[in-house]
Amino acid sequence: MTQDLSHIRNFSIIAHIDHGKSTLSDRILELTGTVAQRDMKEQLLDSMDIERERGITIKSQAVRVNYTADDGETYQFNLIDTPGHVDFTYEVSRSLAACEGAVLVVDATQGVEAQTVANAMLAMNANLEIIPLINKIDLPAAEPDRVKEEIEDGLAIPADDAVLASGKTGEGVHDLLESVVYNIPAPQGDADAPLRALIFDSYFDAYRGVVALIRVVDGSVKKGNHIRMLATNTETLVEEVGARRPAETPLPELSTGEVGYLVTGLKDVSQVKVGDTITLVQGGCSDPLPGYREVKPMVYTGLFPIDGDQYEPLKEALEKLSLNDPALIWEPETSHALGFGFRVGFLGLLHMEVIKERLEREFGLDLLATAPSVEYHVYRKGGEMISLHSPQEMPDPGEIERIEEPYLKAKILIPPDYVGAVMDLTVQRRGTFVTMNYLSQTTVEMLWEIPLSELIMDYFDKLKSNTKGYASLDYEFDGYKESNLVKLDILLSGKPIDALSFIVHKDKAYERGRVLCEKLKEIIPRQMFEVPIQAAIGGRVLARQTVKAKRKDVLAKCYGGDITRKRKLLEKQKAGKKRMKAIGNVEVPQEAFMAILKVDD
Amino acid sequence: MPHDPYQALYLHIPFCVKRCSYCDFVTSAVPSDSPEIDSYIEDLCMQIRHKSKEGELADIKTVYIGGGTPTHIGLSRLSLLMYTLALSMHLDSWVECTMEANPESLTENIVRDVFALGVNRLSLGVQSFDDEVLRLLGRPHTATKAIEALRIAQERFENISIDLMCGIPGQSTATFRESIETAIDLGVQHISVYPLTIEDHTPFAKMVLRGQMPDVDDDMEAEHMELAAKLLQAAGYERYEVASYAKPGYQCKHSIAYWTGVPYLGLGKSAATMTQNCDRRMRVKDGVVTDDLTPAQMRAEDLMLSMRMSAGVSEEHIAYSQELLPNIIPCFNNLQKKGLVILEEGRYKPTELGWLCGNELYGDIFDLAP
Repeated sequence: MTQDLSHIRNFSIIAHIDHGKSTLSDRILELTGTVAQRDMKEQLLDSMDIERERGITIKSQAVRVNYTADDGETYQFNLIDTPGHVDFTYEVSRSLAACEGAVLVVDATQGVEAQTVANAMLAMNANLEIIPLINKIDLPAAEPDRVKEEIEDGLAIPADDAVLASGKTGEGVHDLLESVVYNIPAPQGDADAPLRALIFDSYFDAYRGVVALIRVVDGSVKKGNHIRMLATNTETLVEEVGARRPAETPLPELSTGEVGYLVTGLKDVSQVKVGDTITLVQGGCSDPLPGYREVKPMVYTGLFPIDGDQYEPLKEALEKLSLNDPALIWEPETSHALGFGFRVGFLGLLHMEVIKERLEREFGLDLLATAPSVEYHVYRKGGEMISLHSPQEMPDPGEIERIEEPYLKAKILIPPDYVGAVMDLTVQRRGTFVTMNYLSQTTVEMLWEIPLSELIMDYFDKLKSNTKGYASLDYEFDGYKESNLVKLDILLSGKPIDALSFIVHKDKAYERGRVLCEKLKEIIPRQMFEVPIQAAIGGRVLARQTVKAKRKDVLAKCYGGDITRKRKLLEKQKAGKKRMKAIGNVEVPQEAFMAILKVDD
Repeated sequence: MPHDPYQALYLHIPFCVKRCSYCDFVTSAVPSDSPEIDSYIEDLCMQIRHKSKEGELADIKTVYIGGGTPTHIGLSRLSLLMYTLALSMHLDSWVECTMEANPESLTENIVRDVFALGVNRLSLGVQSFDDEVLRLLGRPHTATKAIEALRIAQERFENISIDLMCGIPGQSTATFRESIETAIDLGVQHISVYPLTIEDHTPFAKMVLRGQMPDVDDDMEAEHMELAAKLLQAAGYERYEVASYAKPGYQCKHSIAYWTGVPYLGLGKSAATMTQNCDRRMRVKDGVVTDDLTPAQMRAEDLMLSMRMSAGVSEEHIAYSQELLPNIIPCFNNLQKKGLVILEEGRYKPTELGWLCGNELYGDIFDLAP
């Protein structure tokens, strides 16, 4: 049975983080009777614990609901929930490519924020019909009229007919569904053409192999079809197709215009890449759908097990996570200070945090992360280019002709009062001001070019605190630019500690080195011997501090009952030591490795 | 469980005229005429008689009445307690029987009567001979009062110990030196020198949190402890434990019992009892088991405590412990390398550094037993 195209609506819900996207999706599932109320959990579509806890969406989801509209007709809605964070912009763009429309959710109290703008741009670029929705109107601080103005002024989207809704109370959700029926166009496509389907997400299922979430653009696909992925040139047999409601429900086929899942039986998620095109091996097509690109990590960090015995478990854990996350890239790394570990590449800082947390929580690992760094392009004399993921790989300064570092185009939205504060902060972080637009009387958009390496320090935290939390930030990769960069080494007791070295702009090296030495002096506890801390470039020492030798560390009283206390104290001391890393004979607490990030206080 | 006989008895008197600013002992400020004290002492006496009936006091060699402030409860209650004790065990003259006393509540009558009833050692809570320091500590007495109390005590007692504190923020090295010299001049036989520890939930801890007082300075404490060692040893006191100095023959036997794995019975609120046989060592406090150790842990604990004392442990003892603690030889070699321990005349002894940085030393020994 082929679904009638005019009764299909494919749409996404897009929003700035925390504007209530997932809760709104919950209400839609409830109102359409897709999920019985008793099975409802908060943020149903966020299936990972970590997604629910942090209130963020990491993986895309596609749910099919049937909606009987006021006109008496029943429509098939495919709701695609997209990740809301800039780290996952590419995944968002692919999800949007699978839709004809988007519901743009804006918080009635917060108004338009950076990711609202960014997501709206993505939706417009994908030629989607946008339905603005002002959410959380049940809150006393809601200002729907102001937000409407911001949407019209800032995004040039007519907001007269914006849906006023509350994901919490369910108010306005019916209006939204009717608006979807009338405003979002039905999909178009050629049911008789060879199969072309877009993969907008994929994940690994331990029992069935890789499952792809797809949008059928032309033709149809069913169980038993012999298919090919065009970009990876992988062939396989379709084991099952179906839709999620939200439990997976097998269907005889997915036809033109439909969204659903496809079980490939493949074992490696990197064979089923987001953005790739599926076609049939026999009678298929050869032109892929537009927009595919390889996802590349932007941020790198060293992950080391605190206990050397956890190296193998860490490797296995990374292997397991990679099954589901092709953007996670890693290779073994050896540090003199920290032993055996891995250099791991991430899409961004959130991605990094999420992975680290999952490794620790789901796999019970104790990890030490070195300061994140970016991929530098180092050109040797003679022209050879090296992609540098770790400061350790930096060639001798004499061999280097120039170094380039990745720059971002950053978009910052703030109330006009904070323009000065953002200017100061961003210039200090080597940002170059591009332009500034007034989106409305209350919102200014500033555009910057800023090195990624500065952004992954505590820039976002600083931006938030310098603007009393008003600023919102979005960024995209711009390109590589030459910079005057040097490698700064930190020496403890005269020995360079590879895990503490980092790459920094030459003009900032002295200041960073000085502050970092001071920070480390506070962080490293007194030991049985003096520990000199030095910051150096090449062999030249820029700054020095000394942790004095410990002179007294004893509980003087030790009578009957004190002995128990003493045991407890020694146990605590032992536990404390466990959280430290012995580098040579110096006990270094974990915070030391993150101190580089906090050098601006 | 069947257990080795107790050889040390501790009686806790949890009452004081007021709480000092650094104190986290189990005690409370209760007026000396409070009936609460009467019923506590009656109960304590019942427990003594009960333990006596069970035969648990037959092998007691040292008694320590501590607090709190035992002298705060007054002569008649102290007499009752001592009568009960004398009737419940052999309180012979060779049994070391110490009572803690505070300068503000030690009277001639108490000195005379408790001495007559069998107390033969007095530990006087002096802490300092500097009034400014005493005020800061929240002590209820002055330096003059302390000297007066000491003179009264010396009329009967020859075995007297005093406590002195060092490393108190605001205490200069000069005033600490004066306190040590005064103690020497007064001719006490035993001196304990404690660096101030700021314990949680004490007024001092709150003051440090609020920034009204600096935290203890480990360097200053180390300096004071070294100074005390120098002055006292020059005056003929032996340092037999990290914080304890005594004229020859006046070491505190009760304390040594704690540090040498001798089973002890504690009676009264929060007093710890250590019960053991060759397979197991337990500590119990207010009916709750706080420690339950295996033979290996017992051995490690004994070693750790031995290393608080100047005598240290013999090579034979170390060799003998190897069966239970397989890593003991490399551990002691490593401690020697770190300069915490020295091998002298067939014994491993703590060095000055081993004393000052004892936690480093004890931690390594503690790790020997899983």
